[in-house]
Amino acid sequence: MVRLLLRFTEEQVPQPITSEIILEYKVPIAILVAHVNSKGGEILAEVPDEAQEKVVQAFRKRGVSVTIPKLIEVDSEKCFSCGSCVALCPVEAIKVERDSTVKFDKEKCLGSTCSICVDACPARAIKSVKQTNGDQSAHGKK
Amino acid sequence: MSKQVKTRTVEEINEKIRKGDAQVLTAEEMKKLVESSGVEVAFKEVDVVTTGTFGAMCSSGAVINLGHSDPPIKIDHAWMNDVEVCHPGAAVDLYIGATNMSVKHPFEYGGGHVIQDLVAGKEVELRANAYGTDCYPRTQLKTNITKDDLNQFQLLNFRNCYQRYNCAVNTSEETIYTYMSKLLPRMRNATFSGAGELNPLMNDPDYETIGMGTRIFLGGGQGYVIGEGTQHSPKNLNGTLMVKGDAKKMTPEFLQGAAFTKYGTSMYVGLGIPIPILNEGLAEKTAIRDSEIFTDVVDYSVPRRDRPKLSKVSYKELKSGSIVVNDKKIRVSSLSSIKMARKVSQTLKSWIEDGSFLLTQPVERLPTEGVFKPMRQTEEIPFVVSVMHSAITCTEDEKINAIAERMITKSVNHIVVIDTAGKLRGIVTSWDVTRAMAEGKKALADIETHNVVTAKPDEPLEVASKRMAQHNISALPVIDVEKKVLGILTSEDVSKLLGREKPW
Repeated sequence: MVRLLLRFTEEQVPQPITSEIILEYKVPIAILVAHVNSKGGEILAEVPDEAQEKVVQAFRKRGVSVTIPKLIEVDSEKCFSCGSCVALCPVEAIKVERDSTVKFDKEKCLGSTCSICVDACPARAIKSVKQTNGDQSAHGKK
Repeated sequence: MSKQVKTRTVEEINEKIRKGDAQVLTAEEMKKLVESSGVEVAFKEVDVVTTGTFGAMCSSGAVINLGHSDPPIKIDHAWMNDVEVCHPGAAVDLYIGATNMSVKHPFEYGGGHVIQDLVAGKEVELRANAYGTDCYPRTQLKTNITKDDLNQFQLLNFRNCYQRYNCAVNTSEETIYTYMSKLLPRMRNATFSGAGELNPLMNDPDYETIGMGTRIFLGGGQGYVIGEGTQHSPKNLNGTLMVKGDAKKMTPEFLQGAAFTKYGTSMYVGLGIPIPILNEGLAEKTAIRDSEIFTDVVDYSVPRRDRPKLSKVSYKELKSGSIVVNDKKIRVSSLSSIKMARKVSQTLKSWIEDGSFLLTQPVERLPTEGVFKPMRQTEEIPFVVSVMHSAITCTEDEKINAIAERMITKSVNHIVVIDTAGKLRGIVTSWDVTRAMAEGKKALADIETHNVVTAKPDEPLEVASKRMAQHNISALPVIDVEKKVLGILTSEDVSKLLGREKPW
């Protein structure tokens, strides 16, 4: 799965752009986070790897700005499981296991659109990294 | 009940360790045993309980001796990997303080990282200068060193192993960055430190067995307690330790450099103490649980020494991941590593079991009396309340003309907008009025700023003045907790005071 950050303008908000694309291309688009009001907004969406290119193009054709947010990666060599990051995470992507190991769940993480944990790590084990899959195709066709 | 011998000695325990017969439990295992079988059985069966903690301990560092260069140098200033290290003694003795920061990468790399790199066997760059004397003629030095090149490399921490520590929250409107890490506004998170029921001092709270000469686990090697730590405050369960140990034999896993955003660098230290179970009383004390250890929830947004205590919570609640303060559920994170603390206690247990670690009897116990005193200050520092003056105000139904006139007659640049109860609604500046004139605006609502940056009366002036600079503004309305306007602090008030007195 690839995560896409979609930015809608004031004019685009009333249009059913996302549902049109889902129907037209028959792709499942999961909406992970949405901050939208009448003045515009942002949606963090997730699409299957193979559909990424056509979905990005479809949104851009309709004037929606698409960027691929970076992912958060944890260097398990550096992490000493203090847990400083745990209570900051808004989606509970970081949890303390029974044996007090701090576990990071990449699937739940919102990526660089959030990044709240990055500067709270005393071991400096948390970094924003580029999504490897399909990164070029989405950025290359702006 | 038969009256058996109710005590044992450290020497008897050591004899068992040498024979491989000593019964050693970690503090966590001991608690379970006492719970299931009682104190009497636990005392009979257990000789030693091992404890552990792994947390950021800023008052840590290492003394090193470099040996003499040729020609010799009496070091004046020195840097290791661009971190300034001080020279507390003669020519080539240096102290690497954990919180000193790299001049090239401040807030990211510091003394704690230099110590960790040296312990890991890495090469570290040393630069030094000197004024030159007849006996020490050299004035410049640059070399690369590893721990093997050093004569001594002694970890020497003047305050470690706090018995317990505060839980930190932030009630302000902005995120703050502290040594208790990142604290989100309006108490959206909390942080705490300390291992609770695993903490060494908590398992021997009367310091029956801990004192000068106690051999301990320190940074993955063996070290010693050399006395009470600075700020040792036993009366309110805030004891601390001063410790030393040969850093050449330590491991980077248990001594890790750390960086706290906008606070600075530090070092995580692994420290564990074996508690000899000399009597039933100690068996009972080592059974202490997280639910019996309490600490204060402290508001770190108040920039004063005595910060408001909002609540009391147990380490059991803290370790559960959430606490309740003023009926609000707050998610809470640990800053110290419980996982590593457990590893310290387990490693120490294995050392004693395999006979490589013998216990010692302290030559002098830690003081059990005394509290940590605040600083004697012979010079007063100014607070907002002593510098602010009364604010010129208006209400939202007034016309811009009337406001402009008031600015002239009262000769002020800021008018604070209040409601009928005297509570803050907004602020209007002379610049806003000028702009209204230029753009032909008539209504106050068009030019009034609602998102007002404010000050509290009991804040130090320095903090308020820094806030003005950060937001690039020239005045702060001073309000109380109910948002009632008490006065106004302007940049002129601040500069007048600065002109009169020495800067603090």
